[in-house]
Amino acid sequence: MNIMNRRRFLYCTALILSAPGYSFALWPSDEKKGILPGPDDIRGKIFKGDAPDKPSKWSHEGFLYTKLSDRKVVCGICPHRCVLSPGDRSVCRSKANINGILYSLSYGNPCSVNIDPIEKKPLFHFKPQTKSFSLAAAGCNFRCLNCQNWEISQAKPGEVRQSELFPEDVVKAALKSGSESISCTYSEPISYFEYMIDIARLAKEKGLSMLWISNGYINKEPLLELCKYVDGANVNLKSFSDKIYRKLNGGRLEPVLNTFKMLNDKGVHFEMTNLVVPGYVDDPEMVKRMCGWILTNLGPDHPLHFLRFFPQYKLDRLPPTPVSTLENFRSLAMKEGIRYAYVGNVPNHEGMNTYCHNCKKLLIERKGYLVPAYNLSGSRCKFCNTVIPGVWENRKITT
Amino acid sequence: MFSILRKNENPVLLVVIATGISSVVTQLLTIREFLAQFQGNEFVIALILFSWLIQGGLGTILSRFFCERTTPSTNLLGILSLALAALPALQILLIRELRDTLFIHGSSVGFYPTFAFIFLTTAPYALLIGFVLPYSLFVLRALKPEYPGSYIYITDSLGDVTGGALFSFFLVYLFSPLQSVFISNIFLISATYYLLNDSGLRPVRIITGAGLALFVLLSGVLFEQKSLIPPEGKLVYYKESKYGRIEVHQDREQFTLVGDGVPLFSNQNTSKAEETIHYPLSQLSDPKQILVISSEGNIMEELEKYHPESIDYVELDPDLSDVLFRFGLIKKIRELNVINQDGRAYLEKSDKIYDAIILNLPEPETYQINRLYTDSFYAIVKRHLSSAGILSFSMEGYDNYLAEPQRQKISSVYNTLSRHFKNVLLLPGQNIYFIASQSSLKTDIPDSLNRKGISTSYVSSYYYGNVTDDRINQLKELIDKSTPINTDIYPQLMHIMFMQWFAKFSTSPFVFIIILTALSLIYLVCITKEEFVLFSTGCMAMGTEILVIFAFQIFYGYIYLKIGLIITIFLAGLLPGAWIGSRYGGNKKILLVITDAILILLTGILIMAFKQVGYSISLYAFLLYGFIVSMTCGYQFPTALKLTGDSNRAVTKLFSADLIGAAAGTLLISVVVIPYFGIIWAATALIGLKLISLIIIATKS
Repeated sequence: MNIMNRRRFLYCTALILSAPGYSFALWPSDEKKGILPGPDDIRGKIFKGDAPDKPSKWSHEGFLYTKLSDRKVVCGICPHRCVLSPGDRSVCRSKANINGILYSLSYGNPCSVNIDPIEKKPLFHFKPQTKSFSLAAAGCNFRCLNCQNWEISQAKPGEVRQSELFPEDVVKAALKSGSESISCTYSEPISYFEYMIDIARLAKEKGLSMLWISNGYINKEPLLELCKYVDGANVNLKSFSDKIYRKLNGGRLEPVLNTFKMLNDKGVHFEMTNLVVPGYVDDPEMVKRMCGWILTNLGPDHPLHFLRFFPQYKLDRLPPTPVSTLENFRSLAMKEGIRYAYVGNVPNHEGMNTYCHNCKKLLIERKGYLVPAYNLSGSRCKFCNTVIPGVWENRKITT
Repeated sequence: MFSILRKNENPVLLVVIATGISSVVTQLLTIREFLAQFQGNEFVIALILFSWLIQGGLGTILSRFFCERTTPSTNLLGILSLALAALPALQILLIRELRDTLFIHGSSVGFYPTFAFIFLTTAPYALLIGFVLPYSLFVLRALKPEYPGSYIYITDSLGDVTGGALFSFFLVYLFSPLQSVFISNIFLISATYYLLNDSGLRPVRIITGAGLALFVLLSGVLFEQKSLIPPEGKLVYYKESKYGRIEVHQDREQFTLVGDGVPLFSNQNTSKAEETIHYPLSQLSDPKQILVISSEGNIMEELEKYHPESIDYVELDPDLSDVLFRFGLIKKIRELNVINQDGRAYLEKSDKIYDAIILNLPEPETYQINRLYTDSFYAIVKRHLSSAGILSFSMEGYDNYLAEPQRQKISSVYNTLSRHFKNVLLLPGQNIYFIASQSSLKTDIPDSLNRKGISTSYVSSYYYGNVTDDRINQLKELIDKSTPINTDIYPQLMHIMFMQWFAKFSTSPFVFIIILTALSLIYLVCITKEEFVLFSTGCMAMGTEILVIFAFQIFYGYIYLKIGLIITIFLAGLLPGAWIGSRYGGNKKILLVITDAILILLTGILIMAFKQVGYSISLYAFLLYGFIVSMTCGYQFPTALKLTGDSNRAVTKLFSADLIGAAAGTLLISVVVIPYFGIIWAATALIGLKLISLIIIATKS
């Protein structure tokens, strides 16, 4: 047997035992790492050969599409601009090329219908304390990992339980329920644009307000058409980073920003929602940039909601947002010049109340969906007579 | 057995024992690591064991091919053993780092990516472990050609038993995963040092090799804490309790409890706390005695509003309840009595009657949790409720649409509860609340709270918008009365949970099942009759172990030490079985037929026991049963080996058959047969398999 001398043994042992210390330098720092590694883009793909053989009873020809050679079509509703060969289904799952014609497959078939308080949308500057007849059909052009309604947004129209409710029936049901508005919400209304626009036209005729709760990922032309009929919108500004849009939502930032500009230009009342996802959307610098953009392009009057994130759907291994992060963002936004910044998903937080941007007095106190104090006279602050941006008056409803 | 240790092959046998220790500890730690990084359901556990065993089998086959082309060498065995000692630390660190590199941080992962990740990250170690065991035999046979293959099997079993016991009864209590890896692999490094020193290799080379392995292990220990730091917030508490990983993350003022990688709740948990407490307690006129099984953040503040006389809080893991109090996740109030016990086991033994029993359970994704959603469990709960007493719990709900698998899940639980309670109220929302009682139940919760003068911030102001009569009625109408109830023996909910998991990721297991079935058929067609016997034996041993643990948990609850004892017994039984098989025996074919018949008989006895005596089966009976089954399985290996001729080729093929059979047993029994057909049919399927084995071997010419 070979013998090792003591000196050599001690030398080797010391070397081995001290070595791990040096390699500490190789390990990533435990400081915040910015946007983390992992897949960069989760954008959806076209479902090849997944279209139904023939359109269903209520399928409706697409509102905006281009016919190409070989019976291919290009859907023009959203920036995905899906190029569909016959038999293909769109990214949003609710459009299909059937024999060279683009069909909307969910027309007249909502899968969820409820009557919600308008504050639930959330819309805080639009007819407070009124009810909104809310409906959704299956489909979405995004793939948000934290979707609250993934059961319908990430499903094909045929995969969910649907009811038959044509636009006329929707308006009738909304009026019957005493709602003052109809909301296209829950999933992504852009994916059932044809159904939404027909409901909106009829709602307008009957004096009902039309609300659009959306991710804002829509092209200019359909949006212009929609702006003719929509009275209010809540559009998600999921983050102010294209990278995060691609990583967590499967979309792009620029088209959403264009939507905000268009809504602003057309004078549609809209509010913005920013879900503060820990580790991704909780960077104060990003919020500052976002507020800067809003102020430059949209002005200070559009309400901005910072919502608390809860583990949800596939993004279920992150903690909820600390309440103080939302409070900080609200203060930051107001300091930057946004007049109406709110905190959401935190029961009875002071940041849910509306304060006059001029005299700073309490205009609307909110306890959940209840409003214990209301200090507006028409659309003006009771205390200083300043006009408060929003839609406050109740319209006359004709039946 | 012990006489062979005195011969000149001692260093190799010591390496085999140390490898057994390392492999079992690594396997248990790997399972825990995956459960903390991926979905903690029974499917993932089965996938890990499946990958491990399959790759072990492949490694064994590779070993044979390798040795047919080269001469086995002690030095190579030494190098491979040192690599084996170093790999577990790398494997665990790799799993942690790659998780967020390949997948989006904070997101859960679907079936196929999980399987691919498990398969690839465990491959180096599992293949090597499968390779080294037969290679050790070939090294011994290079010295002594007639060396019996069964001795290696016995020696490896000895290492496995030691490793299992070391981890379950010692390491898990005192050490973190990478410290346990360090300790368990020190034996392997030492044994390899002894082996290489004996082989005449230059000491500097040996020291360098052993030093490198030691370096990797030490690095693992040093980097352990760093590898767990979350990108958002700080890690303020970390402990590996015997039940799993407990972490507390701090982000600003918020503390979040994270159990096995999943955020469970935070100290800013008002909405859920109010729903959990006020939905049931607002129904009662004066709740005095309250039982809470497992917890939810901030609930004690809400409970206090009812001025109860006593609150019994049952939490299985004492480390978990301690940490909840320490970080203010639940408040320690005067009336609170903490009981660290399995919830079901507590209720079975206790005589106490409660006005309300509030369960805060995870979804029934494992057999352990499923026991708290069954028909028998609700019967036990009912016995502990006062005449107007209330049982309440919640399950994952929906915002605006109840998807089909979830509808079935809710329906199954509703139908099960309805067998015991006259009134069952479902309140919809992100969590669906089940309120069950013999007395009538009210849906206007804010009104009841107003009458009691109890103030809330969430329920009073959001309930009327979120839980409208329309939504309550819609949910009630969606209940499918024909959905089967969930029982201990037929755990319906388990397969519904699997379906829900697949639906969430828009995938289906069918491609996997088809590929697996095709590969299994090809394998089964290619193997010899003796290999089939050992394939079915591996399947039987693993399947029976799963069944016994499953049954034990139903009857006795999750008692860590006792389950650890059952697992150890299943490993230990192989040892005397293999030893007897290698020493004694007459006609090998008849002996295989007899032992197959014994296994069939034993499984028949298990079915009878489940049906006839069930809840009165003692722990000793479970232990004795496990020992006899594994001893019989252990006996079959050397017997089959004698029948095939103890060549290198035969040994590796039989090793592989045993491992592949065990892989098939794990997957089939735990994720297919039990969830879809229940435990009686699972046991019957094992009988069927062994019957085929018996016929095949009996008809062998």
